Amino acid sequence: MRTKAKMMLLTAILTAALLGCGQDAKVIEGEVKNASDEAKENPEAEDTQDAADAETEKESEEAAEYKGYAFIYQDVVIEMDADAAPIVEKLGEANSYFEAPSCAFEGIDKMYTYGSFELDTYPMENKDYVSAVIFKDDAIATPEGVGVGDTAEKMTEIYGEGTLENGMTVYEKDGMKLCFILQEESIVSIEYRSTVLDE
Amino acid sequence: MMQASLSIINFRKDEEKVKRKKIMKAAVTAALVLTSLFLLQCLLVPKYATDVVEGSLIAEYYQEEKDHDVVFIGDCEVYENFSPRVLWEEYGINSYIRGSAQQLIWQSYYLLEDTLRYEKPEVVIFNVLAMQYDRPQKEAYNRMSLEGMKWSGAKVKAIRASMTEREEFLDYVFPILRYHSRWEELKSEDVQYLFDRKKVSHNGYYMRVDVKPAENVPEGNILADYQFGENAYDYLDRMTRLCRENDIQLILIKAPSLYPFWYEEWEQQIEDYAEKNDLLYLNFLEMTEETGIDFSTDTYDGGLHMNLSGAEKLSACLGRILQEDVGLKDRRGEKELSEKWQEKIIAYEAEKERQYKENMG
Repeated sequence: MRTKAKMMLLTAILTAALLGCGQDAKVIEGEVKNASDEAKENPEAEDTQDAADAETEKESEEAAEYKGYAFIYQDVVIEMDADAAPIVEKLGEANSYFEAPSCAFEGIDKMYTYGSFELDTYPMENKDYVSAVIFKDDAIATPEGVGVGDTAEKMTEIYGEGTLENGMTVYEKDGMKLCFILQEESIVSIEYRSTVLDE
Repeated sequence: MMQASLSIINFRKDEEKVKRKKIMKAAVTAALVLTSLFLLQCLLVPKYATDVVEGSLIAEYYQEEKDHDVVFIGDCEVYENFSPRVLWEEYGINSYIRGSAQQLIWQSYYLLEDTLRYEKPEVVIFNVLAMQYDRPQKEAYNRMSLEGMKWSGAKVKAIRASMTEREEFLDYVFPILRYHSRWEELKSEDVQYLFDRKKVSHNGYYMRVDVKPAENVPEGNILADYQFGENAYDYLDRMTRLCRENDIQLILIKAPSLYPFWYEEWEQQIEDYAEKNDLLYLNFLEMTEETGIDFSTDTYDGGLHMNLSGAEKLSACLGRILQEDVGLKDRRGEKELSEKWQEKIIAYEAEKERQYKENMG
């Protein structure tokens, strides 16, 4: 009888230890914020440039309130890991839409192209979240005023020294990444990326 | 005196009896605990029977007869795009697909090592999309490629090469350590497939009959570096060497999947590698005329993977090359093998019919 009790106790302890010990889980915290605009549309016109600078400054201030680097496009704030539905609704109809079911997993990665940028989402528990914003041309800039075609010097001036990751200059903030691809000291690509799916 | 000796002997016997009893009890206790843990592990590990069925693919190979002329290794671009049934029915080529979701090149290499423990095919076909990855990616995909492998040196090496920073080797040895929290999400299939798994593939082919035309497929975004990594090249070299040592013809392919984007810079590197190593390389993206693939009818997910119609067209084209250019023999005259394939074709047709009905309903 005593042995049986011991055996049951041992099994219970082992089971409890296995079931109870810490388990890492993927946590989605939709707290990465964005900001952008089309401030660089008419660089020749000084007034427009001033207005754009003022707008950029304003957005930059706004962006500072967000967690991580945020992208703002026509007053629509796009944060990494934010719920994508209200953002997509505010942005209106995309120029192009593509969806890619992830290999083996349920849910669909979605790609919306809005002229100058691409907005990517990932699915999680019946909702889509923002996974990336990728600049497609030089018609837009980050809220801090950096766009495709700008110099590496300007990037460093505004964002400081980034880290080099897979050939990109990366600024990591609050669980998201702002990535720049440089070619001969000139920015050729800008991407906002969520890090939730990295592991 | 005599009585005293007898009582000492009896005492010793009793003592030994008690000792033996204790050992027995400890052994039984240990056995019960281990059995409980084993059963618990069987219950908690994912079964990949109805959701994420791709997790079952690697293990299914071990139930097969091991007499294949062709073995495919690679990611979803092999297990969703080629139909071994067509290779058999139209060309008498016996093939098997050892594919898994996001199979990384080191996993493909060790799966090849593992395959060679059982058989020596004439041809190994490797899909080169995996060259884009130079380091471990995601645990979930790792597990789907590795857990189904039988234990061997190849599996140990595959795990070690694949683990991300947060993974532990011991979690692969005792999966219960990783899945213990799954008790909250257990489903009826976890009990139903406690010991036996549901068969989900047809010689490694994952069938889909639905249609979703390819539209608005995006161009690739700019990459910081188009050069394939050293690690990826190292495993491609190893694969080439292993095939050569075993007198196996290695064929490199790029399946006709439109997404993820296949960059020109990548294409050039593979063409150069194939030329340098005297390997046949088939880029099916550039062979639409030969394959006859129509991206408005032959894909089920907008151009990422072929549906049944696309996979059958692609396999017919590949079979022709394997027979005419590579010289594989037609084995349809082999009675035993033909009988096995007859059974497989019945299962294939049944699955096809089930899916068509489901899609129509």
